[in-house]
Amino acid sequence: MVANEDQARFRSVVLPHLADAYALARWLTGNATDAEDVVQEACLRAFRGIRGFAGGNARAWLLTITRHAAFTWLSKNRSSALLVVDDLEETERRELSKGFPFEASQTPEAALIAKADANRLEAAIAQLPVQFREALVLRDVQGLDYREIAQVTKVPIGTVMSRLARARRRLVASIGRNETQSK
Amino acid sequence: MTPTVDNESTLLLHAYLDGELDPAHALELERQLASDPALAAERERIEALKRAIEERLPRVAMPPGLVGRIEAAIANAREHTSAPRWSLLRGWTAGRPSPRPSWAALAASVVVAMGLASSTTWLALEPRLSQRSVSAADEMVDMVVANHLRALMAPQVADVGSSDRHTVKPWFNGRVPEAPRVVDLSTEGFPLVGGRVDVLGRIPVPTLVYRRRQHVISLMAVPSDQASAVRTERRTIAGYNVLSWTQNGIVYLAVSDVAAADLEAFAKAFREAAA
Repeated sequence: MVANEDQARFRSVVLPHLADAYALARWLTGNATDAEDVVQEACLRAFRGIRGFAGGNARAWLLTITRHAAFTWLSKNRSSALLVVDDLEETERRELSKGFPFEASQTPEAALIAKADANRLEAAIAQLPVQFREALVLRDVQGLDYREIAQVTKVPIGTVMSRLARARRRLVASIGRNETQSK
Repeated sequence: MTPTVDNESTLLLHAYLDGELDPAHALELERQLASDPALAAERERIEALKRAIEERLPRVAMPPGLVGRIEAAIANAREHTSAPRWSLLRGWTAGRPSPRPSWAALAASVVVAMGLASSTTWLALEPRLSQRSVSAADEMVDMVVANHLRALMAPQVADVGSSDRHTVKPWFNGRVPEAPRVVDLSTEGFPLVGGRVDVLGRIPVPTLVYRRRQHVISLMAVPSDQASAVRTERRTIAGYNVLSWTQNGIVYLAVSDVAAADLEAFAKAFREAAA
């Protein structure tokens, strides 16, 4: 009956967080079909590893597996997305010394940001480099705290902070830019 | 002039708005915000962005049938790995995979939760709820999480579904000895979803259900003659944060999978509104 226990444990540990796992996969892969593949793969891995789950934060555990499955999928199917990521690390380091390129001319007023419609927000987030996107989605969409995001994305908390700040700054700039263009 | 992203104050500002700064740093940042208009303007922008995401970004919905397909895939994976197929699979995968977890799964979740609870005294219960006072605190937290989980897996999380507190409060009359205080926290970002009755030990307690983004917050209200809080503290069990405080003779237990900081914000908003 050991296998039944595994299945019961899978249901109690994994299934309550399936919606979050799917949403993360959807944001990382960019479409519903691939997201379902990624989540299926992640769930199989979670099931095989269920006895190794030592308890603790089940949601962060499942999201970590899901993120890993998503990145494996991206590297097979969208290697360009990950190449961008590597370049980004370089760019990030350079930008660290110079400050950020989006400056006052593209910084909209808070009132303008507050009016941004759903499509614009969604498109702006989808265009973020994947590392910024995942930090933003985990925090502002899924409500994880910094420690959990650091755990899921396997980077120090300082990196989480900087990615989150950059992600939001890019969104702010992108909303401002689109708004100016559409006038 | 816009503050640059790598400016330390800007980084701290994000952490501040995410509820991640400790009180000393938060105070310092508040002083900075008061004296630095550029930083204050950045705060407005970040807050506007966070609010826009929370209120208007469409939520990703799970495709219908995904749970069933995943359970089928897992049953399938098991068929390939486990030998005596008949005995193992009976009752589990013989027919369609059940879309909802069974009682066995729920029982297992309680076992998982109990295994995780530490032995620190957190909430001591009167003998009416439990005879063993050391583990009673842990048992209480486990029951709180288990009730929340059960509600999440049920067809609906609330037995009376309404965002109107004047509908929710009267529903409790006759179901529990005392109807709970119901407050409207929608402007604070925690809309009321409804209420239900949970059972802690053998005692029916009123539970209010609130929402934060797509996450559900259960708030149980136990009269303190049935459970006395030793001190307010937060705990994490299986990814669920549990927060407790006492107010006007009622022990409140809030449980949710929202970030600890969000649950703190919820508790603060509730305390202030119910004061």
